[in-house]
Amino acid sequence: MKRFFTILICKLLRFVGGLLGKGSSLPGQVALKLCPDILSRVELPEYIIAVTGSNGKTSTVEMIAHILQKNGKTVAWNREGSNQIEGVTTLVLSSATLGGKVRSDVLLIESDERFARYTFRYIKPTHYVITNLYRDQLTRNGHPEWVYDAIADSIHDGTRLILNADDPLVSRFGAGKEDVIWFGADRLSSDTDTLESAYNDGAYCPVCKAPMTYSSYHYNHIGHFACTKCGYKRHDTDYAITAVDLDRGVMEIDGKYRISLALKSLYNIYNILAAYTVARVVGVDGEKIAAEMGDYVLKNGRVITFTLGKRKGTLLTSKHENSISYDQSLRVARDYKEGCDVLIIVDAVSRKYFTSDVSWLWDIDFDMLDSPNVGEIVLAGKYVNDLAARFDYTGIPKDRIKLFADIPEAVDHLENGGERYIYAITCFSDKAKFLARVKEDQ
Amino acid sequence: MKLLHLYHDIMNLYGDYANVLAMQRILQNSGETVEVDKLSLGCEARLDQYDFIFIGSGTERNQKVVLEDIRRFRDDLKRCMDGGKVMLFTGNSFELLGKTVTDADGRVYDGLGLFGFTSEEQNKTRMTADAVFGCGFLDSELVGFVNKCSRCRGIEEPLFEVKLGLGNCDNDKGEGVRAENLFGTHLTGPVLMKNPHFLIYLASLILNRAPSEDGMEFVKAGFEVTLSELKKRMEKENN
Ligand SMILES: [Zn+2]
Repeated sequence: MKRFFTILICKLLRFVGGLLGKGSSLPGQVALKLCPDILSRVELPEYIIAVTGSNGKTSTVEMIAHILQKNGKTVAWNREGSNQIEGVTTLVLSSATLGGKVRSDVLLIESDERFARYTFRYIKPTHYVITNLYRDQLTRNGHPEWVYDAIADSIHDGTRLILNADDPLVSRFGAGKEDVIWFGADRLSSDTDTLESAYNDGAYCPVCKAPMTYSSYHYNHIGHFACTKCGYKRHDTDYAITAVDLDRGVMEIDGKYRISLALKSLYNIYNILAAYTVARVVGVDGEKIAAEMGDYVLKNGRVITFTLGKRKGTLLTSKHENSISYDQSLRVARDYKEGCDVLIIVDAVSRKYFTSDVSWLWDIDFDMLDSPNVGEIVLAGKYVNDLAARFDYTGIPKDRIKLFADIPEAVDHLENGGERYIYAITCFSDKAKFLARVKEDQ
Repeated sequence: MKLLHLYHDIMNLYGDYANVLAMQRILQNSGETVEVDKLSLGCEARLDQYDFIFIGSGTERNQKVVLEDIRRFRDDLKRCMDGGKVMLFTGNSFELLGKTVTDADGRVYDGLGLFGFTSEEQNKTRMTADAVFGCGFLDSELVGFVNKCSRCRGIEEPLFEVKLGLGNCDNDKGEGVRAENLFGTHLTGPVLMKNPHFLIYLASLILNRAPSEDGMEFVKAGFEVTLSELKKRMEKENN
């Protein structure tokens, strides 16, 4: 009876909340108050797939849902912004019958890496995807090893891990486990022999802290690593990116499936690989996955093309306080052979909490913009001085850099400044201030 | 002049390396030729030949690895400290200088014992906060960020006075530690880049004269913006 009422109330609150345009965590919060163990009282589907990690989980989850739904599976999944226990509770209960049975084939959960330990106390995933662990929102998260420990607490016996073999810290979750499913990239034509990053989180072995060596770097410290002492090294993969041509926008998975890319970044190909891996595990044919992923454009608004006067451009939503996310965006601009100008905005460090910390700017490899493909660099926002100080320590000539504390002024400057393509790089917290001044392409 | 960035690859968690860049730049702008050595675990080093020594923040595990390695420098560091060498320790690197560090499992590690304080880590809550610190020897406050999981007890002469943020432990108004020209603080990251007046002060100790302030416009303006943001925050919290 208690279960019936809790589910009913959750559904009602969700319905009312939907009408009011409210977020989806409140109904779950109320449900947990009414019945703290409600999640263990519902009947869950055969596949419960959780996705966590520093970067790309929202995109990965969206792609998994897309592939599975296109292949006839029903999927209950949480969209952006509701990945803590309350949001997951709302998701589960609103997908359940009043009798307490979740009606979909797959329950797909994007989980906040710090809170997974609470969420998975009641819902044990059948499969748990961990995409990567980077320096991400360190003002709240501490550091990657701190997050590692938090995620380790959320892994329970009976859950199969699906891990990124190229991330040395993530791979450690698989130590001593026989049934891990590994995904990763073979040596790619875009790989480098030396590290390209402002810092090196792959310098030391996560297990024994002896120095590590790499036979290949995909990007930053992601690649083919091996400890010089304890034998810890990159694991062989079950599902792999076998080739990639970012210029032509094509990737190849498992030596046979070619997928054309709407977004030509290494990031994107890892998210696609993670989604492919999950779909294979659920039983979807590789050919069908490739067909669904070809030219797939994310719906979550991370990448937006726009028009500004006579100029065209792309907004690459990156994450403040997350240097690898910035590096990925900078790499796209650096490699744009037709030539581009770049706009970078740091105005509010976060939209969810207050901090004025800009230490993370020093972890971003802005020297990448010292490229013949990049023309003018426009820096804007409240923290423009900190950006300028950071660029002062790159090799980029000063006369190529323009500074504006005021974002509209920066956009006006770009509108009247030539015809090159524009890459705008900023965070969720600041992108609306930019988008308000340009015309989004439909 | 010679600068030493010690444990540059293992204690560099929040952009701490930029402190060495800032010091190198100000000394060069003041007419000095500057050499920077970046050394790490197992490297030979003669500490007395450097004009400035810096160690940054690391993960709790990395700090323990460094603690084992740095023991061989214990007496050298003590001599450097007593001799007035300018040294800066940011984040949990300054815990190395105390009597003991206790990890979250209760395991006790001997520190270098240059100071009598003890540090105790826990693994439940990360203690993080924006910071505004008062400082007796500077005209203006310092800004920055503290990111730690430890409490330091037994520091009688702290470096800073907490106006916003976290002190050495609990409600302690004191933060960091100082002896002679050795400065230790839980402020993380590019402390000298964010606080040009602190950089100028340390450079003047190294040079024995006022350094050049050329080319510091951006860092000075950046400092003012951050300080005003944090002061707004303090007013909000006080109301
Ligand atoms: Zn090892």
